[in-house]
Formats: sequence, structure tokens, C-alpha cells
Amino acid sequence: MTTSNTSGHTTEPRQEQAVQAVPTRVTQRGIGLGGAFTIAWRAIIGTPMRSILTALGVIIGVAAVVALTAIGQGSTAGVTDRLESLGTNLLTVQSARGGGGGSLVRGGPSQTITVKDAEALATAFGDRVSGVAPSVNSNVQAKLGSLNTQASVMGTWPAYGAVRNSPVEAGDYFTQADVDSRKRTAVIGHQVLVDLWGEGAVPDEALNQTLRLGSVSFTVVGVLPDKGNSGFGNANSQVLVPLSTYLQRFSRTNSAGGQPTVSNVYLSATDAKDLTELQADVTDLLSVRHDQTDPDNLDFQVQNQADSLESLNAITSTLTILVGAIAGISLLVGGIGIMNIMLVSVTERTREIGVRKALGAKPRDILTQFLVEASLLSIGGGIIGLALGVAAAYAGKFFNIAPVFSATPIVVAFIFSALVGIFFGYYPAARAARLDPVDSLRYE
Amino acid sequence: MTASRIMERDAPMISPPPVVDIRGVRKIYEQGEMVFEALKGVDVQIAQGEMVALMGPSGSGKTTLMQIIGLLDRPSTGSYHLGGRDVTTLSENERAEARNTDIGFVFQAFHLLPRLNLLENVEVPLTYAGMPAAQSRERALDVLRRVGLEDKARNLPSQISGGQKQRVAVARALATRPRLLLADEPTGNLDTRTGEEVMALFGELRAEGTTVVLVTHEPEIGAYAERIIRVRDGVVESDTRQTPKRVTP
Repeated sequence: MTTSNTSGHTTEPRQEQAVQAVPTRVTQRGIGLGGAFTIAWRAIIGTPMRSILTALGVIIGVAAVVALTAIGQGSTAGVTDRLESLGTNLLTVQSARGGGGGSLVRGGPSQTITVKDAEALATAFGDRVSGVAPSVNSNVQAKLGSLNTQASVMGTWPAYGAVRNSPVEAGDYFTQADVDSRKRTAVIGHQVLVDLWGEGAVPDEALNQTLRLGSVSFTVVGVLPDKGNSGFGNANSQVLVPLSTYLQRFSRTNSAGGQPTVSNVYLSATDAKDLTELQADVTDLLSVRHDQTDPDNLDFQVQNQADSLESLNAITSTLTILVGAIAGISLLVGGIGIMNIMLVSVTERTREIGVRKALGAKPRDILTQFLVEASLLSIGGGIIGLALGVAAAYAGKFFNIAPVFSATPIVVAFIFSALVGIFFGYYPAARAARLDPVDSLRYE
Repeated sequence: MTASRIMERDAPMISPPPVVDIRGVRKIYEQGEMVFEALKGVDVQIAQGEMVALMGPSGSGKTTLMQIIGLLDRPSTGSYHLGGRDVTTLSENERAEARNTDIGFVFQAFHLLPRLNLLENVEVPLTYAGMPAAQSRERALDVLRRVGLEDKARNLPSQISGGQKQRVAVARALATRPRLLLADEPTGNLDTRTGEEVMALFGELRAEGTTVVLVTHEPEIGAYAERIIRVRDGVVESDTRQTPKRVTP
């Protein structure tokens, strides 16, 4: 550019200026975005395999975001539904670290809730709850003839079905009389039925049959319906037995002050509006019973369902951030892939660029052409990724997770993929625009 | 004003300015310690309607001169007026516009874009001129008809012969109705017979009043021109007029 200082200028400055004033014959507007779009589109469909490979990083990135967020939100919604179906009126009393001596030494909360506590709660709040049900459980081998399966045996009270909103499909829960007399009666989950009575067994088949839990034989009095297997643990593997029987037969010698203990006590408030007050009253009662003075450091905790939902949401949002970060990285890698191929493409098409420049393409026209090509690749990749992501999320149905799609991650992934194309396409496009027409026409 | 300038320069008394008016042009390539002077002060005037052959052996500087005339390259010093307009001071964009509207290129290797059909190839310069699609389609069909390839408008370059490719390239060069047709070894990749066909086309265009500059090292091609400018070692060695060879198809 600096080599063009002509000697003619210094000798005839006025006349040169006058000649320059001769107007060009055509006012040029260039190719515009539409023209660049056409050129870029031809280049992309001209080499379909390469174009797909170029966009693959973006395709995978967007598909991952869409599928993972949809599956994540779907499973969250599933768990939330389950928690809500268990009753929003539910209070759960659990042992907690601190307070009672000895627990710190063992490194975990010791069992501090006793059966007597549960009985006291039932007596004190009997008119405000639909039921009180303590629970304690352990894994025990269940056997019928030559068949066996791993069961989660839980000792509880007959009110469990009402408190946890878990009715039987056939038969009935054991009775208070069974608890009082430590009868060996059991309510079995769907999986236990299937494993011991065979696929397609009718619940009624198992009623009044005897199965062995460990070395103890129990009579089946009730069968629970299929609860699906989403959520925590597997509710279908449950076997419910009277608490007194459980403590006699399966207790792991857990006790506090000589009293047998339980893992949880469930209470369900009759009136949802009473829940907060009930929670406070339960806490007060147990504080007195456990001689707790520091309300911030109790040896038990009383949770309501809202607390559980809250902690679930905290986990979910952490997972969402994690998914977003992974997706961001894969989109970045996808963008670098696009830049790489665009650089190769510019080199390969050096001669084409030279021809276009000779025919009147301005640097801006070439820049636009390659920038539009990179953007089309990444936006196209975004669209394909979106479709694949939706398909993959629906494939999650095989794992009993119904996907939930929301606009935000889809829109964000899409816009981000377009920006990736423009950002990583700029450097190759600028390089193409700067090419010297003489050199590029000569390029072999 | 334009006329007075030409009179001052003792140019022939014709009303339009020369299409190409190059004076004192030098082109120096520097690469580190190496300095190479490809053009050592060249004066060339080409009037409207002339058919000129720019001849010389390889390394003579004729290609450099052609690139400067075609606005693909800039002279190191000297002046260049294209159709009366000083083009040495133009910006990159203005040069691109001038290449688009004032100059039509025909290359030895045709340089058609392989993925575009013939019609679309001819439309490329019209697109860069910003011509509306319908109009450019019509114009492209017109010039394809002019070179006798209207019926192959939808074919790809790979589906036609070398001679036909060069005729498409000529059509593309003519599309924006430029002042000057610049053909760089237009028959270099063609056999004698198809080469003659292409030269016949240039002869017809010259008869219609198009200004043509042929760059060639072949005397048989130079014979078609009415004027031969020989370049050797970066200077104009001779500038002679002759009766051009007539083509009888």
C-alpha cells in the first residue's frame, strides 16, 4: 500500500484532483447478507460430510445440554411428585449429631429416638395427627422355598400406611393386636412378590402364605402396589413387619438408656395449616424428654416435607450448574473445531478467493461470506443438536424418567452456539479477506 | 478538464480518454536484501476499441504489467489512469469496485467456480455489483447467448469442454460491460483448434468495439491483435501496429 506514492502526484497535483472527481459508473452495494448466505450455503451443501464433521462438536454440545437438563429436570420433577404424594403434611423425626454423648466418638449420629418417644408423641398429639409411625429397618434375605431375594425389612406400626400414604393393593396392614403380641405378620412390596412368587404373580396368591425373613417365618397379610423405581431406594423391596416383632427378631442391639430405638418417627398432621406449629410442639416435647437445653444443638431433628424439597432443589441447582459448565466446555471445543476446519477451508479455497476478488469482491464481501458460512455451520449444528438432544431425552423414558423441557437452556444453548460460530469464524474469515489477489490467483 | 489534461500530455486528439494510460510505471519487489525491479519505467496508452497483444518472454515483466493494468497490483511509482480516472490512489474497496465495473478478466486456467453452474458463474461479478437477482439473471443469459452457450446455462463447469469453459469465462468477463477485457494467456490451456475458436470470439468482440488486451507469449495468438507491445527486462521493447489475422470460422 505504501508503495503507491506516484511521481505524477507531485508534478500535477491540481489536475490529478480534478481527474479523481470523475464519478464511477455504477454505485456498488456489494453482495449483502443474502448473497453471502447463498454463497455460504452452496459451500456447505457442496461438502456435506465435512460440514457435518465440522459442526459435530456443536451438535454434541447442544444435544448434551438439552438432553441432560431435560432428564435432570424430569427426574427432579419425579422425585418432587413422589415427595408430594407422600403427603405435604408429613413430619419426620430423626436422630441428629450432637447432644447425646458418645455419638461424636463413633463419628455418626447414634440412634436417640426411642420407641417410648414415639408412644409419647402418639399420646400427646393423637388429636392433631392422622397417625404416628416409627420406623427402623435393615436388609434381610427373604426366602420362599428355593427362591430368595434381598428385602428391606422395616419394623413399624399399622398407622404407617395412613401416615406415609402407602395403602395395600391386597390384604391389609397388620393390626395393633399384632404389634402388641409380637405376631410374625408381614406386608410385602411388589418386587418381593415378583421375586418369590414369580413374574406376573397376582397379589392375592401371596396372602396367608409363609415366607422366611432370615431364619424367621412370617405370614403375608398384605401386598403393596408397584410404586415404580424412581426416587430414593427401592420402595418395592420393602417388607413391613410389626415394630415389636422387628425389635425382637432383627434388632441390632440399638438402644438409648436401655430403651429400644428407631430411625425415624413419622407424623402426619390432620390439618396442613397446623404443620409448623406441630413441628414446634414436637420439638418442645422431645427436648424435654431428651433433656436438651441448647435449641441449636439438639440430638434429634424434626423435618417437614418443605425442608426436604428445599434441600432437593439445592442439589438440583448445583447439578444444573455442573451440566452447564460441561456443555459450555463442549461448545468451546466445538467452536475450535469450526475454526480449525474454516482455516483449512480458507487455504483450500485460496484460488476461489482470488477469482472472487478479481471479479470485484471487496474484503468485506469475502469476510461476510466466510463468517456467514461459520455461523451457518454452528447454527445448523445447534438445530441438529437440539433435535438429537430432544430424542435422547425421550430415550430416557426407558429409565422411567419423563423428560421435562424448559425454554431457558434450549434458548441459551442455541444462542451460545451461534455466537461460537461468529466468534471462532471471525479469524479465518478475516484471514481470507486479507488475502492478496495476485498471490491467491497464483496459488496451486 | 479531462480533455485539457490529455492535450497537455500530447496524446492523440480523440474525444474519449485512453482506456489505459500508464506513465513512468516502475514496480520494485523487495524481499530482505534482495531487490528486484520487475518494471523499470513503462509508458503504455491503449485507446478505446483497440485490440492489443502484450508480449514477452517469461520474466519480462508482462505479467506484472498485466496485474497493474488489472488493478490486482499497484505500481511502486508512476501514474495509471483507467478511462481518465487516476486509479493509483484508490482504496482497497474502490479498487475492487473498479475491477468489478471497469475490467473483465479472462484467465489461462479459466477459474470458473466449480460448484456453481455456468449461469451462476457469469452472475458472480453482477452479484458483487449489487445488481438485483432478476436483472442479473437476464444479463447473464444475454452474455451466455452472446458466446453461444445459453443452452448449457444450468450445466456445471465440469460438464463442458475447455473451449466452452473459456467462452463462459469470456461471458463472465463481459457481464458488467467493462471498459477493458484483460485476457491472460487465454488459449494457454486449449488445443490449437479450440484456441482459434476463442480467438475468433475475441475478434468478434473487438469488431463490436470492445477494448481487448491479450497477454501472451505465443506469436500465433499475438497475430490476432492490431498492435503488439513487446516487453523485455521490465521495459517496453517495441510497440508496433499490424494488420490483424482474420478468423474464418
